[in-house]
Amino acid sequence: MKILIIEDEPEIARSIKDYFKPNGVHCETASNYKEAVSKIGMYDYDCILLDLMLPDGDGFDILKALKAANKTEGVIIISARENLETRIEGFNLGADDYLTKPFHLSELLVRMQALIRRKNFKGSNTVTFNEITIDVFSKSVTVNGIKLDITKKEIDLLLFLIGNDNKVLSKAAIAEHLSGDMADMLDNHDFVYAHIKNLKKKLTKAGSEDYIQTVYGLGYKWQNE
Amino acid sequence: MNKKLLNKTTRSFLILAVIILLVSAPVFYMVSHFLYIYEADEVLVFHKEAFLKESKKNFTEADIATWNQYNRNVDIVADKGMTKDSIFSSEYYDSTSNENEPLRVLWSPIEINGKKYTYIEQSNLVIMEGMVVSIAVFFLLVIAVLMIGIIWLSKRSAEKLWAPFYDTLGQIRNFEIDKNRQPQFIPTNIVEFETLNKSIGRLIEKNTAIYQNQREFIENAAHELQTPLALFQNKIDSLIQFPDISEEQSRLLDSLNNDVSRLNRLNKNLLMLSKIENTNTFEKQPIVINDYIKKNLNFFAEQAKSKSLTIITEFTENLEIEANPGLAEVLINNLFLNAIRHNEENGKIVIAIANNAITFANSGSENALVSEKLFNRFAKLNPSGKGNGLGLAIVKKITELNHWEINYAYENDLHTFSVKF
Repeated sequence: MKILIIEDEPEIARSIKDYFKPNGVHCETASNYKEAVSKIGMYDYDCILLDLMLPDGDGFDILKALKAANKTEGVIIISARENLETRIEGFNLGADDYLTKPFHLSELLVRMQALIRRKNFKGSNTVTFNEITIDVFSKSVTVNGIKLDITKKEIDLLLFLIGNDNKVLSKAAIAEHLSGDMADMLDNHDFVYAHIKNLKKKLTKAGSEDYIQTVYGLGYKWQNE
Repeated sequence: MNKKLLNKTTRSFLILAVIILLVSAPVFYMVSHFLYIYEADEVLVFHKEAFLKESKKNFTEADIATWNQYNRNVDIVADKGMTKDSIFSSEYYDSTSNENEPLRVLWSPIEINGKKYTYIEQSNLVIMEGMVVSIAVFFLLVIAVLMIGIIWLSKRSAEKLWAPFYDTLGQIRNFEIDKNRQPQFIPTNIVEFETLNKSIGRLIEKNTAIYQNQREFIENAAHELQTPLALFQNKIDSLIQFPDISEEQSRLLDSLNNDVSRLNRLNKNLLMLSKIENTNTFEKQPIVINDYIKKNLNFFAEQAKSKSLTIITEFTENLEIEANPGLAEVLINNLFLNAIRHNEENGKIVIAIANNAITFANSGSENALVSEKLFNRFAKLNPSGKGNGLGLAIVKKITELNHWEINYAYENDLHTFSVKF
């Protein structure tokens, strides 16, 4: 998987690159408009992460350039600008998702995976991890072919964990992922524990391996061992 | 007691007019009375001079008796021993009007054929006295009319004169620095008012600019903080991936994680607050409050689980409001989360919808909160709480923006926040 990070803050670009690498995502970076446009012209990417504020241009112009060149890359805007107008303009210009800074790298990773799945959607949208298969489209989970009785939120959590496999996920990151728009207001992440416990129970009961590991004091980890 | 400036000037004017009137009326009476007596005396002396001139030539002692017999007002009597004219007041009894009437009497020494006599003439003051009274009344009337007229005129012209001042005053009273409406003063040709208007205009302009600057500063600062916060967050996300993290290190990392979340929340709330303050109009659409709460009840119940709170909803009507959905949701969320945050173990939350209002009542500390401070920014009444002190400030801003009414009360051991739409 190859993606392009268009971001003028090198530290952020590097954090993303380092975080994504172990999960099989190869990242290239562009720190300004010119560089971005030239890279887009030369290569095809699975996904583009786009910061709107660039030193020599506006991120929106890159969206326009992509459209003009008939490029079909999925674009996730990562921006410090948080208002409805920018969001709507971004979507109108062809962006697929919008993530406001600051964000958790784990969140960005699953959003990107979801976007790529949607882009490659060929009649089915499934995520498979060993004996576990998640049908994102019909919102169902099977373990060794047996369907689980599982809530939407638990599926969401499962996708988040699998998407970030072998990564330690902080309670805050999980809590914010599960609460969506409400995340900004939460000051208590204790509810994550209950969801993890339920999911773990349902999976192991259906005969799945116990992949969910508790990392003491920090959070949880989906470990394939 | 405070009075209007207009009333004050008219009042002193009125007092002065009354004093002048009260003093001038008796003075006028006395002056006219004096003048009248003076005139009467002059007539008496004139008559006497005429008598001496005309009558003396052929007037004999024998004529005196006849003169006295036919003359009612003038008598020639035996010398009373005076050397010069003497005029004095007296009165006589008038049988027709049955009362004493005033007189002026002249006694004057004269000589007839070398013999000394005294000339006595009296002048009736009755008619003149009546005249003095009617002149005085007329005079008073004129003064009264004049006074009323002047007061009315001065009041009217003063009102007109002061109109720009009162207009300025009204505009200052209605001026709100956080609303984008500069006062428009009526142009005036009075130097003082023009100076006043210009000074106030400058003052307002300067302060609005400072205020605007301050507001933008908060927004810009919060925006600028987003990138370092993102870096901070990302680095912690990366840091926790390191293998072989000790227990102590992981505790520190967890606590760092909570700190950065808290910073994020604070910053987002600051942005939200300045957005509400800096946006002129928010797009509105109908929202059913009941539906929103029902839809998100699971989420809130989840948050309430760790404290084992009981959530009771009492919806007696369908509350549909016209508002910006984002802001209305923030309002409800903040109030709901507050009710959870400041609750006690095994406490309860009662959400009621009735009479076009929504009420969140929660158990918690046993003291009522100080309601004046409650909605201020960073007015954290519970220092140990995890709230960032902006939630209620945001709620208040949203209610102000929509002209809703928010109230706090401590009733039946419950902290109650109600929003009337």
